[in-house]
Amino acid sequence: MHSFFTSGLFWFIEGILACLVVIGMKLWMEDRGIPMPFWKWAIVACWFLGLGFTIAFVGTSLGEKETHAATQGGLIFGTVVIITGVVAWRLLHIGSRSKKTENDDA
Amino acid sequence: MAKEKVNRRQILKASGAASAVLGSAGLGMFGYEEGKSPETYTGCENQQGAGQSFNRGSYRVDRPTYQKTGTTSRPDARTEIVFMRRPAMMRQWNDEKGIDGLDETLAQYYRENPEVLELDLHLKNDILPKRQEDAPKHKDDYLLAQAWSNAMGAVSPRGVHTPPEESDFPGGNHEPLKMKSDKQTSRLIKKIAHELGSVLVGIAKLNPDWVYKYPMRGRGFDPNEPVEVPKHWEYAIVVGTPMSWDATLANPTFGTSNDAYSKSRIVAYRLASFIKTLGYAARPHTPGSSYDLMVPPIMVDAGLGEQGRHSIVITPELGSNFRPAVITTNLPLVPDKPIDFGVQEFCKKCKICAENCPAGAITMGEKEEIRGYTRYPVCSEKCHTFWSSCLGNMGCRICVAVCPYTRKSNWLHRTALQVTANDPTGLSHDALIGLQKRLYPGPDPQEYFIPSLGGSNATYRDPPWWLRTEDFIDMEPGDGDSEV
Repeated sequence: MHSFFTSGLFWFIEGILACLVVIGMKLWMEDRGIPMPFWKWAIVACWFLGLGFTIAFVGTSLGEKETHAATQGGLIFGTVVIITGVVAWRLLHIGSRSKKTENDDA
Repeated sequence: MAKEKVNRRQILKASGAASAVLGSAGLGMFGYEEGKSPETYTGCENQQGAGQSFNRGSYRVDRPTYQKTGTTSRPDARTEIVFMRRPAMMRQWNDEKGIDGLDETLAQYYRENPEVLELDLHLKNDILPKRQEDAPKHKDDYLLAQAWSNAMGAVSPRGVHTPPEESDFPGGNHEPLKMKSDKQTSRLIKKIAHELGSVLVGIAKLNPDWVYKYPMRGRGFDPNEPVEVPKHWEYAIVVGTPMSWDATLANPTFGTSNDAYSKSRIVAYRLASFIKTLGYAARPHTPGSSYDLMVPPIMVDAGLGEQGRHSIVITPELGSNFRPAVITTNLPLVPDKPIDFGVQEFCKKCKICAENCPAGAITMGEKEEIRGYTRYPVCSEKCHTFWSSCLGNMGCRICVAVCPYTRKSNWLHRTALQVTANDPTGLSHDALIGLQKRLYPGPDPQEYFIPSLGGSNATYRDPPWWLRTEDFIDMEPGDGDSEV
């Protein structure tokens, strides 16, 4: 039984959405005056990978009717994602120039 | 600054062009793969070999992952195989005569192994009466499971009941056809095995150590004469099919071995027929008790998997969730090499099967030498005693259900398999075992017992919807006015 979510079309759309995320994030960071060198993009990619893993793990476990694994795994991996997200956010701000400061200077 | 902008532009242009080329090539590959994919043979996916999906190539090793450490000997099926010994003992046992009332083979065995007699009598005198007490109270719970199990076992080949020199060869003066090459024949046999319904297939050179010294009953051998391994049993082809996944997880009561037993048995007889039509000898060795040999080590030799702590072979595709059959033959073939995908290291640490075994039949300790080969020992008496006590379908299979390798083939478990198979440090094994225990716990093993033995008929996971009798059948006594 084929589902849209296990089809090639789904991954095609996921790819487009991922591109939009990258473009949107690039613009968003530019607006906030946060420079995005390669290593920051690597951090973002890793973090999104972790987030994606956590969400997919919970979904897979629910699909397997392993509700205990879904809740426990969601809690464990979700906590790791939140903590690493906070750390990543701080790292992304290295070298940032806030718009507000620029305006004040002007 | 201008130069930098141009560079960035150039990079973007180049990457755009490269992406267009790669994307186009990818679409071509997508089309090609989709065109030839076994998954597109709707209804016949496994006949294309889709189930045997693990690439064994880089995991092939010259020696199997069990070790030959001493003088080898062959088992006596009459006494060492619990399915032969216990029924014989129960038929012959007389409380007044005791051991002296048994046939000499059995009596001698029990004299040499009094602890086994104690366990066998425990089943007869203590366990089975308790089961009889509980069975009427719970029989309705398993009605659909038993109906399904019976249906799976309803079609069965006639069986082999004559000696190899009679049964194994094609009838008439059928000369063996001249095959072009052993390699091509092996390829053909594997494809035919898949076409006949086998999910896994492998080929081994038959090691005579795996053949019973004294045979099982009903196979055409004189039970009191040692079996001389026939010369035409040169190769062993192993086939195997999985048991229904959801039902297997609802063991010990809702799953059934009949399921895969029946499928593998039919495949084995079909394949034997195919080989005989080519003019060569072939003899099926099939579940439940129509074997002349031990199957797990042959599976290991044939590169289908590795023997785990629970003594069942663990395969990369199905974990322990399968039932095999063997065809011995003189059709010239190229044996497969055994594989090593990390099971020995994993089982050394995991012990989940041992912790969850209600019978305490699986060791928490180290491997031991058994008939000259080193492997984990399993107390088949304790195992058989527990599963004889269970209601519902016969058997237990908890060790199959809880094994971390027994997982459906989705991205999560396929990734875990690849990680454990390719980690020489074993660090991922520790992490995954920890997660397995935390995320996939089962009931307290005591709960698997029947109420009369202190349990609650628990199952590892809830039964699938199609095995829940109460959702489909009104078990109240009929009053004739129920709605239909």
